[in-house]
Amino acid sequence: MATGNYGTIRPADVSVEDVEIFYSYTPSRESITSVELISLDPAQVLIPAANPNNVTEIFGGLYTLKLPTSVFGTKGYYSIIIRPKQIRVTIQDCAVLIDNQDVKGIVFDINQIPLELQNRFENGNLVGYRVEYIKEQTGTGQDKIQNLFRIITSNNRALPITQNQGNSNASQAYTFNDNSTSVFCTVTPASAPSFKPNATPFIGNPQQEVIITNTFFNPVMMEIEMVEFDEETLAYALFSNQTKSLEDGIYTIYNFGNEIYRQYNLYEVKDQFSGKPLFEVREQKFTIDPTKDFDDITNF
Amino acid sequence: MEIIRKKRNLENYTIRSIPKSVLKKDSNGKTIIDESNPNYYYGKIPVYKVDKEGNFRLDSFGQKILNTINIDIFLKQDIDDMGLFSDQQFIPKTPILLSEPEGFNSFEYGRLAGAPVNFYYSNVATITGTTDDGLLKQVKSYRKDLSGNDIYVPNLNVSYDPKNIFNGVLSENQDETLYKIGANVSDIQNTGVSFKTYKNIFQKTFDEYGKELTFNKTEFTASNGGWNQYNTSLSANIKKEEYLGIVFKPEVKSVVFINRGIADIFERHSLLSEIKTTNDIDTNRGGFIRI
Repeated sequence: MATGNYGTIRPADVSVEDVEIFYSYTPSRESITSVELISLDPAQVLIPAANPNNVTEIFGGLYTLKLPTSVFGTKGYYSIIIRPKQIRVTIQDCAVLIDNQDVKGIVFDINQIPLELQNRFENGNLVGYRVEYIKEQTGTGQDKIQNLFRIITSNNRALPITQNQGNSNASQAYTFNDNSTSVFCTVTPASAPSFKPNATPFIGNPQQEVIITNTFFNPVMMEIEMVEFDEETLAYALFSNQTKSLEDGIYTIYNFGNEIYRQYNLYEVKDQFSGKPLFEVREQKFTIDPTKDFDDITNF
Repeated sequence: MEIIRKKRNLENYTIRSIPKSVLKKDSNGKTIIDESNPNYYYGKIPVYKVDKEGNFRLDSFGQKILNTINIDIFLKQDIDDMGLFSDQQFIPKTPILLSEPEGFNSFEYGRLAGAPVNFYYSNVATITGTTDDGLLKQVKSYRKDLSGNDIYVPNLNVSYDPKNIFNGVLSENQDETLYKIGANVSDIQNTGVSFKTYKNIFQKTFDEYGKELTFNKTEFTASNGGWNQYNTSLSANIKKEEYLGIVFKPEVKSVVFINRGIADIFERHSLLSEIKTTNDIDTNRGGFIRI
């Protein structure tokens, strides 16, 4: 008997249909407003890289986030959360297998699942998904049962079978039947500890709402700081071309492409009576003077 | 959750070009910017990509290109194998599907309800390669020629189950011997593994001690590879928690021998200290002494 799990870390090749993306914005780290998460369409903003040796094949791991400037064009901090897609569903039943009474599981109704997600519930496709639970009485504060999750270890279409337990009692067990629209999922942990055989770990109750999440990749959070200045823009002030118009005192700083980056008015403040110079002023000019184009000035 | 920090300068996305087409003269004859001109973007971050003249850049389909801030990320998946599945009987969905769904792939579809087992069969794969002539001896007859060499008799079945399995020579000439191992007696040509041993072509290799080995070049062809009705069946897979982390089911044997290995450097000395007489060698540790 060989025991011991083995594992690895692999580049994820998850489909964007199995991804959820949210973002929040704050103009500064000291903002006191609560975090408001807004969803983004992964199909629009998350682009998987193609394998250069086979363009119809995903490269794996490498994705490009294409953040629209209409949303992400403001100075400040954007927190972007990329996480596996969540599916909300109600547990149809909790039961055992008729041929394996020690195998407990939770049952879902495939018809309850949105059509585009139903293929995830086909036999064996939910293996590895995580199940998180919503409190049965919601609206009592935190609706989600925190710090509790189970992992689906198998799923198969199954049909309920009534087992007569005597004294007019009956219980329900499941048998695997591909004609059924119910899906029997085994989860872990689901077995009782050996020292306390009646203490079966909680795996859910019928009619309880749960959140099912794939585990195709590890969730990632990105904090993107949008700034107006960096080393490059500071270098404009030091090393790029500049002009000073002696006629009107307009001081222009160009970027490395000789486009107008900033303009300033240069002037002196003098004593109105004596005419004595008091200050030399450099004041940013917000209405750009287009006649200070560098190529026009130097094209003589 | 992994947290990645990035910094992006909005200046890289800000338009700084002033096209000549947005300039106009004011009442004093001075050149100014016509800020109402649709091609004027100076100091702004446009929603769509624009060129230096303020015109929208178009893709190959003539569509405007969304202006985006691109950031590469690398997504990873941590996986752990949870051990073996247990098979369980199930009732197939009816009616049985007659043809595979478009693009059917058992890895993506899993055990698709209504799909018969033949959906999971693969095309027959033919495997070819070379090996040594070790199996040639299995198909020899019991006779030898005057020189003491084995005689190979075509169509002589030498298998231990001649009613069902054919092991024997198909043909032989002065250059090569063609023979089959494990063929079905009712279809010898299309079943089993074919071997062709060349009598006059020799190959060399070395064993684990570096000793040179010489054998006749032998080619093999097996044409029944892949998944078929003999090695494929459909079952519902479940996980039994007692088997989580176990790669295969425990095998219980009546004779158990625990080899303590040499985890302790004093192990061998300790073993020797237990042996006082030559009789102890036979009786110590149930006769399983290993020094």
